[in-house]
Amino acid sequence: MRVLDALITGLAQGAMIALIALGYTMVYGVLKLINFAHSEIFMMSAFIGLFLITMLGGTEHPLLAGVGGTLMAMVAAALIGMLVERIAYRPLRNRGKSSLVRVTPLVTALGMSVLLQNLAQLMFTARNRSYPQLLTGSLSLGPLSVGTSRVVILLTAVVVMVVLELIVKRTWFGKAMRALSANEEAARLMGINTSRVISATFALGSSLAALGSVLFCLDQSPVHPSLGLVVGTRAFVAAVLGGIGSITGAMLGGLLIGVLGELLKLTSFSGGTDIPAFLVLIVVLLVRPAGLLGSARAEKV
Amino acid sequence: MAEARTVEPSPSHEPWRARLRDLAVVAVVLVLAFVVDQTLDRVIPDSSVRQLLMLAACNVLVALSLNVINGMAGQFSIGHAGFVAIGAYASAITSSRLHERFGAGDPTFAHSFLVVPTSLLVSALCAGLAGLFVGLPSLRLKGDYLAIVTLGFAEIVRLTIGTAQISADETAGHAWSEVHGLGSFFHAISVSIAGLGGQNGYAGPHEKGVPAYAGPFWILGLTFILGVVAWRLKFSGWGRALRALREDEIAAAAVGVDPTRYKVTSFVISSVGAGIAGGLIAMMRDGNPTVQPESYNFQSSFDAITMVILGGSGSVTGAALGGVFVTFSVKLIELVQGTNAVQSLKRSAEWLDLNALRMIVYAAVLIALMVLRPEGLLGERELTLRTIRGWLRARQERRDRKAEDKP
Amino acid sequence: MSAPVEAKDVAALGATMRTKHPTRPDPSVAMGEPLLQVRDLRVAYGGIKALKGIDLEVRRGEVVALIGANGAGKTTTLKSIARLLPVASGTITFAGKNLATMTPEALVGAGVSLAPEGRAIFPNLTVLENLELGAYLHRDATAMRETIEDVTRLFPRLGERMKQEGGTLSGGEQQMLAIGRALMARPTMLLLDEPSLGIAPKLVQQIFAAIRAIAAAGVTILVVEQNTKVALSASHRGYVLRTGEIALSGNAKELLQNPEIQKAYLGG
Repeated sequence: MRVLDALITGLAQGAMIALIALGYTMVYGVLKLINFAHSEIFMMSAFIGLFLITMLGGTEHPLLAGVGGTLMAMVAAALIGMLVERIAYRPLRNRGKSSLVRVTPLVTALGMSVLLQNLAQLMFTARNRSYPQLLTGSLSLGPLSVGTSRVVILLTAVVVMVVLELIVKRTWFGKAMRALSANEEAARLMGINTSRVISATFALGSSLAALGSVLFCLDQSPVHPSLGLVVGTRAFVAAVLGGIGSITGAMLGGLLIGVLGELLKLTSFSGGTDIPAFLVLIVVLLVRPAGLLGSARAEKV
Repeated sequence: MAEARTVEPSPSHEPWRARLRDLAVVAVVLVLAFVVDQTLDRVIPDSSVRQLLMLAACNVLVALSLNVINGMAGQFSIGHAGFVAIGAYASAITSSRLHERFGAGDPTFAHSFLVVPTSLLVSALCAGLAGLFVGLPSLRLKGDYLAIVTLGFAEIVRLTIGTAQISADETAGHAWSEVHGLGSFFHAISVSIAGLGGQNGYAGPHEKGVPAYAGPFWILGLTFILGVVAWRLKFSGWGRALRALREDEIAAAAVGVDPTRYKVTSFVISSVGAGIAGGLIAMMRDGNPTVQPESYNFQSSFDAITMVILGGSGSVTGAALGGVFVTFSVKLIELVQGTNAVQSLKRSAEWLDLNALRMIVYAAVLIALMVLRPEGLLGERELTLRTIRGWLRARQERRDRKAEDKP
Repeated sequence: MSAPVEAKDVAALGATMRTKHPTRPDPSVAMGEPLLQVRDLRVAYGGIKALKGIDLEVRRGEVVALIGANGAGKTTTLKSIARLLPVASGTITFAGKNLATMTPEALVGAGVSLAPEGRAIFPNLTVLENLELGAYLHRDATAMRETIEDVTRLFPRLGERMKQEGGTLSGGEQQMLAIGRALMARPTMLLLDEPSLGIAPKLVQQIFAAIRAIAAAGVTILVVEQNTKVALSASHRGYVLRTGEIALSGNAKELLQNPEIQKAYLGG
């Protein structure tokens, strides 16, 4: 019984983690760069979502506030994501591969992450802020009762992933994104404006992170500036576990991390979920760097 | 071909004269350090300024050691604080145990000749082993992936120490005597880790604080000597091989440089340096003699990266300058934060967090630097009298040329 | 299609191909008039001069071969025309437009498509998706359907593998896909970089037959080749590059007969 309950909680958790992991994986696909600032975009959008939901009436108009706030937070996150790309990554592109500039995207990515986190600290202070309880009550499924929020999260995540799959497989943007991640030069030869596709990828990834963050906070968590570090880490592990660059991998990795984290809570292990997450990360990188679903490709030199 | 030749470690038949000169330099440095040690509290009566000076020296060591892996080897570690933490805990434990053997009391200068080298040896050994343990499997990963592993390692170190708890009044000694299988073995390990004090930090076996054995003599002297070592390392055959590897791994491998061996060695050297720096930091506090896991969080790894990058990746003098600059700016912020004016301002403006502001400025500077001048302020160049003279001459020439152009 | 393709088959196939761009007006260059003009093109790789002043011209409707030994500068020339390399000096004009200031992605819109060296297909996308991406700029459903039909007739093997991932194709099939993908953009001019490189001789014949058919359909072609004989046999004119300079140029048939060329490139 407790195991079943943990499984459901874990799936809901995992679905949100997967939404964030998708951002890491998509950006890695087009830029071959780990966007360390992604977790901070997630944290920022949690704050923005909180303010928007409160502004739209909070518990008085739960539907309007929930849906409207989430959508607006997604738009805001998309803008932040595009801004981050514009400032920290675009100026470095097409700079050649000399050894001294090879690590520069890594530095700017880290810098952006630190900058955003401290900006949030300055703007919102370090104290915890709670989301209004929009999703209360529970549904009974046979013998066990599941919180409404969990159901909403799971359903939303499933719908979003199906839509994302369609975007990636069927739309011109999705095809351009896949072409770009396979071979940038060839993509340009097709007439694809790579800068625009990269920008759009950041926007899409960031808005998914915003959706994940609002759902996450509605479900359980207070918002604070180091939320990105805490949850972002897990999402990042999920992306690497699934095989960074692989969209299905990110979904699978997210669900796995979510479920494993919840199951771990049933044991007597006291170290929290972060130590095991980092251990999984390191082991995966060492044993199978391409992740569960990533194809093993040799690093181009 | 010239490059290929220099890659070979040159046979070392240095004339004895050069050896003697080196020894003489070391001796002079030690004497100087001793003089400074004995007179520093008279020259700088304010103990907080003395502490700051010593902390700056330790941070120079942190920067120099990170520079080996991030600058010279062209790898990218973002978990340097993990190695510093290991060094700090190792020397805190060793020095406070030795201190007890000496019957506690005030740390004496004479005793420090036994305590400091022993503790630093343990620090260097532990950090170096950790470096080997992390570096050996992970250095075949490239760029971002290696960065992640180092970050993961540092976080595991910090979180493991920070979250370990003992259920009852169990002692490590008792737990180890009970080991009779894998389960109790792990239990003993976790009890030992919990003995480090968790989130509150380690303050010696009886919570009396880590004795402050590392005075100015040790810190300034070691920083200078290790700085010279770093300098010589950069211009040695080994350093050149490392740079060749950074420029083009395949070409370097083709002329006989074994990439894995060089990378792992540089990683171990870097972590040994970090361990020594951490060991010194643990033994120099007089105000707050505990070692806390939170001092070694991601922010301090990021500070180390800032030190190296600001000065210029690969430049020894650049890293040293970066270390001094970051230490002083951190201290400055702390001082300003503590003033009455800021405290009263904070009461009305809750958001005012100068440390966050500092991090924002650092991050923005780093991003701007990467965009505008990716090689850092100095690039790989070194700040020496000769280069400074060169710059001044070039400036003078430019001025002369302008003056000539005018009429 | 294993036997060498008859000339009249090729012409017939070419006559049925649809090559008009759905939106872009036809360039106001008549058949036989200069379409692409390269003047005094110089390119350097960090101090090493790769091209020391190339002049060449491709007239509308022509197939022109650019031949030469390894390292002579053939691919460099083509890549600078395709804007993948920065030009040190010189001019490149296409139908009166200055190409030297364009981005590679703008070039496709102007009517120049490149099938790059080493094919550069998208390995994890299906053959069909690879082809579709060729039509990324115009996205005209009718034009896409028509060209996919045409490409399938040119290369029946591709038709059988539409749902397969590009990476699973053989080298020859990938080359066919690269040419087909370039055709999807409905280019006025096609640039082909070493289409025979690393491909079985039988497939080389097929690919060059297809190149003739594409030319017969009215697409102007500049092809870079090491396989001198095959390239010149399929071309109207040829340029011979030697260490970054044009050493010889002229009618393809005459070049084939040229004793110097026979000695240097044809093992004669």
